[in-house]
Amino acid sequence: MNVSTIMNASPVTISVTETFGNALRLMEERRVHALPVVDAAGVYKGTFDFADIWKTLLPKAALLGMDSLTDLSFVSDAQEILREKLAGAGSRPVSEFLDRRVEPVHPDTPVKEAILLFYRLDEDIPVVERGTNRLAGIVTPWEILNALRD
Amino acid sequence: METHSSQVIFGWSAAALATVIFIAVYALVIAEKLNRAILALLGAGALILCGVLTQEAALRGVDFNTIGLLLGMMLIVNITGRSGVFQYIAIWSAKKVNAQPLGVLIMLSLVTATLSAFLDNVTTVLLIVPVTLLITEELKVEPYPFLISEVLSSNIGGTATLIGDPPNIMIGSAVGIPFNAFVNNLTPVIIVVEFATVLAFALVWKKSLVTTEEARRRVMEFNEAEAIKDHRLLKQSLSVIGVVIVSFILAHSLHLEPATIAMFGAAVLLFLDNYREDADHQTKKVHGAFAEAEWVTLIFFIGLFILVHGLESSGVIRWMAEKLMAATGGDFKITAIAILWSSAILSAFIDNIPFVATMIPMIKSMAPAFGGADALMPLWWALSLGACLGGNGTLIGASANLVVAGIADRAGHPIRFMRYMKSCFLMMIMSIIISHIYLYFRYL
Repeated sequence: MNVSTIMNASPVTISVTETFGNALRLMEERRVHALPVVDAAGVYKGTFDFADIWKTLLPKAALLGMDSLTDLSFVSDAQEILREKLAGAGSRPVSEFLDRRVEPVHPDTPVKEAILLFYRLDEDIPVVERGTNRLAGIVTPWEILNALRD
Repeated sequence: METHSSQVIFGWSAAALATVIFIAVYALVIAEKLNRAILALLGAGALILCGVLTQEAALRGVDFNTIGLLLGMMLIVNITGRSGVFQYIAIWSAKKVNAQPLGVLIMLSLVTATLSAFLDNVTTVLLIVPVTLLITEELKVEPYPFLISEVLSSNIGGTATLIGDPPNIMIGSAVGIPFNAFVNNLTPVIIVVEFATVLAFALVWKKSLVTTEEARRRVMEFNEAEAIKDHRLLKQSLSVIGVVIVSFILAHSLHLEPATIAMFGAAVLLFLDNYREDADHQTKKVHGAFAEAEWVTLIFFIGLFILVHGLESSGVIRWMAEKLMAATGGDFKITAIAILWSSAILSAFIDNIPFVATMIPMIKSMAPAFGGADALMPLWWALSLGACLGGNGTLIGASANLVVAGIADRAGHPIRFMRYMKSCFLMMIMSIIISHIYLYFRYL
């Protein structure tokens, strides 16, 4: 059993030229929490997900990696400001938000490796063709559980 | 001489080998292509492999008093930091001035200087800079002047005490100068330098630091009490820091070395933080505390001490000191002022730690010419002021500068080399002029 036998081969994707606002709308419509981002040739460029949205709302001091503030329990909340930040990000291209927290796997990757990645990171896993890096599908936790319960 | 023989390898003398290896390491450290800990270890290893020093002699050259003091204070501060007390102080001080940007700049600079006097400069800026970025983002003002002013203040504040900055730790340890002597001789001039620097900064940036009422109100709504994460740890760590500082003050009469005080303080704090935990948690917490110590700095120190010991034991340092004496004509005043200015200019461009490590044995060897070890005290103050304050001159002059530049870069506010130098080189020169006047009237 490898990931090609269980992956979702036609996932909802978004083009790298699309905007943050359109990506958010697509996630809402299709009820997915991550979108693989692809270019015109179908090559995988990264994943747009909720973490990218949270990132636009947080102060920079919380996004400094190891040196970040450890918590924000002492700051004041201003809903207006957060609203403005979210709206302000709407027209920015998704290409600005691509991070690759999960390195893509290949169709012949063992399912156990996918399970290990879920255990460690809990993010949907993109599957790309060897060599071309074209998106072949994605694996979410449900693909694995469904395959095991059939 | 601690060498195997005067001719060690390939017919080279120990002095020539020690000098070549030392200069090669120095040049590579300046080039910044390779991590400085790797370079110092390679150099120290080469000295032993080439037969300039035996392993035993090399280890005798390491000042474990400096290493212990640095490591102990790193552990204490890192554990204390987990309580959230430093965020508390930063927010509290910003609110004290009603979150007026100029007032915040002055307050955070003074807080940084004060903390740096007792804590490692890098640790201090790592604790203050993230809160500064949070406050400036909320106030919608450019963080640059705040960050730069904090960098300068951390290097200035660190100069005030024995434990504030590595050069002072090295000088104090090598010469046996007590904590109180640093406070009596350096703190007064450092207070003047800090206020002059912050004042100059405030005047330069006064006009561009404006914010809105609403933004100020949001900062005033910060609840600093929420920043305290662990009240028990807060009490424990502040008690330990208090006892450690009092012990430094009394160290001379208690016959205690600084490393004993710092390491024992760290051990007590680790004990208090861990004794209630099960074995598994203890391993994790102790591992975490040790992992956060700056091992690159500590290992760099160890390698460097060995390299300098190679120069010392092969007679190179004595030769250099004789040359320096000849250049200053054996005049004490000229020697003191020359040490102050050359330390400042050099420390602006190269790491002040290797520089001070080389200068210490050189100055020590001048004792007979100037009438004994006690007569040298003004030279030690000149070296400390020059080497510590000189680090403010450029972005690469001190570790705190580079650490802040790294964080600022990740926050999307990069600090450029030239822009930094334009705002800070003159500030550094001003601090050295103040030190010059102080040394002249008090000691020369």
